[in-house]
Amino acid sequence: MSWYRHLILAGAVALGLPACASTGSTATAGESSRTPTSAITVAAAADLRLAFAELGRAFEAQSGTAVTFSFGSSVQLAQQIRNGAPFDVFASADVELVDDVIAAGKADRSTKSTYAFGRIVVYTAEPSGPTTLDGLAAPGVQWVAIPNPEHAPYGVAAEDALRAARVYERVAPKLVLGENVSDTLRLATSGNADAAIVALSLVVTRQDGTWALVDPALHRPLEQALVVTSTDPARAEPARRFAAFVGSPAGREVMNRYGFVLPGEQAR
Amino acid sequence: MDWTPLWLSVRVSLTATAIVAVTGTAGGYLLAKARFRGRGLLEAVASLPIVLPPTVLGYYLLVALGRDSSIGRAWESIFGSPIAFTLTGAVIAATVASFPFCLRAARAAFEAVDPRVEQAARTVGLPEWRVALQVTLPIARRGVLAGITLAFARALGDFGATVMVAGNIPGRTQTMPIALYDAVQAGNDDRAALLAIVLSGVAVAALLAVGRLGRATVP
Repeated sequence: MSWYRHLILAGAVALGLPACASTGSTATAGESSRTPTSAITVAAAADLRLAFAELGRAFEAQSGTAVTFSFGSSVQLAQQIRNGAPFDVFASADVELVDDVIAAGKADRSTKSTYAFGRIVVYTAEPSGPTTLDGLAAPGVQWVAIPNPEHAPYGVAAEDALRAARVYERVAPKLVLGENVSDTLRLATSGNADAAIVALSLVVTRQDGTWALVDPALHRPLEQALVVTSTDPARAEPARRFAAFVGSPAGREVMNRYGFVLPGEQAR
Repeated sequence: MDWTPLWLSVRVSLTATAIVAVTGTAGGYLLAKARFRGRGLLEAVASLPIVLPPTVLGYYLLVALGRDSSIGRAWESIFGSPIAFTLTGAVIAATVASFPFCLRAARAAFEAVDPRVEQAARTVGLPEWRVALQVTLPIARRGVLAGITLAFARALGDFGATVMVAGNIPGRTQTMPIALYDAVQAGNDDRAALLAIVLSGVAVAALLAVGRLGRATVP
């Protein structure tokens, strides 16, 4: 029998399967559940995980708009937005990525604003672990976690600081790269890395471990900006209100508590 | 506890399984019964998802279906939304990842059908399509269903390919495995443990079903 006749038969067999399958029939999924109109999705840099979770709850209570967050490294989030990911707000840890997204025609330029400046710390879960950049170079320290500088602004800042402190050459062989800044912290809190360079905003509320701030003069400023990226006009309005909320007195109070330096407070 | 990831996972894996059940069974029949050039190569390429790291698979899919690809552009002009970072992308990723499990099990099941039985059916005058539908398929049924069940378990568990193609968007593309990853990232250990238990439970149930469906010919 020729192969195309087999092809026709194969099709018949596949379609005949449900008829003879007494068990394990596969049902297709039902209609998609409709999301409420007053709901937005915010793509946010991983350093915002704790601060934005709290800020999101405050915004929901005040506005009735449900907010869900997708936290990740800023470069990856920007890539996803350029590729059509349905986010309504992009809160980046690096202002340049916001400009990229605007240049790609994926954001409303007029809504761009700098909402905070980030700080970095050396964190360790070990009682006697290092909390200084020099300490990371010590022989007893085996693994040092930093966010991947390829796609995390906090990783760029960490690398800057290690170079400026003239310990990069000695620390480089010990580096373990986290996917983003919260993944990096996880490497250290689980004890798998002896120490990590992470965002102050992720450790300021922690009960365990110790940390010390890194001199901000050692790295380029972590200017964090956001922009509205809604493609659906109906979602752009609540997205704009969320963006405004981040910069409102209530929003600034939350950000301040998580250790962010606010625009206008001091230069760095 | 927010169960949206479970719901999304079930939707994605059932849709992928429905597609795989049809295409994998047909493909398995073709590989078992037809002799044509490139048959071995076809099976090898279709089986790649078994051995390729899921992130590599996801990367290929993103390149093939992303906004800059011709398929992605064509899709977007027809349906108005991209494939990447949507539930459609998640379904495609799960389909490709689980397809070979069904294909190989179905091929083995069809090959195991005694040709003398089919020959007997032909000698009593049954046309070829009735032999395929009323003799070959019912005999091979258990093996085919086992393959479909394995494919379902694989589709349910996919992380790497799905996260590359569909991203991690809570409520829209965040399936169970991605929600678990997210919970670990957030330091939410209770939620991570619960998600792991639920996912493992469903997978074990699927594998038990495979076992029951029968001394199945697993690839």
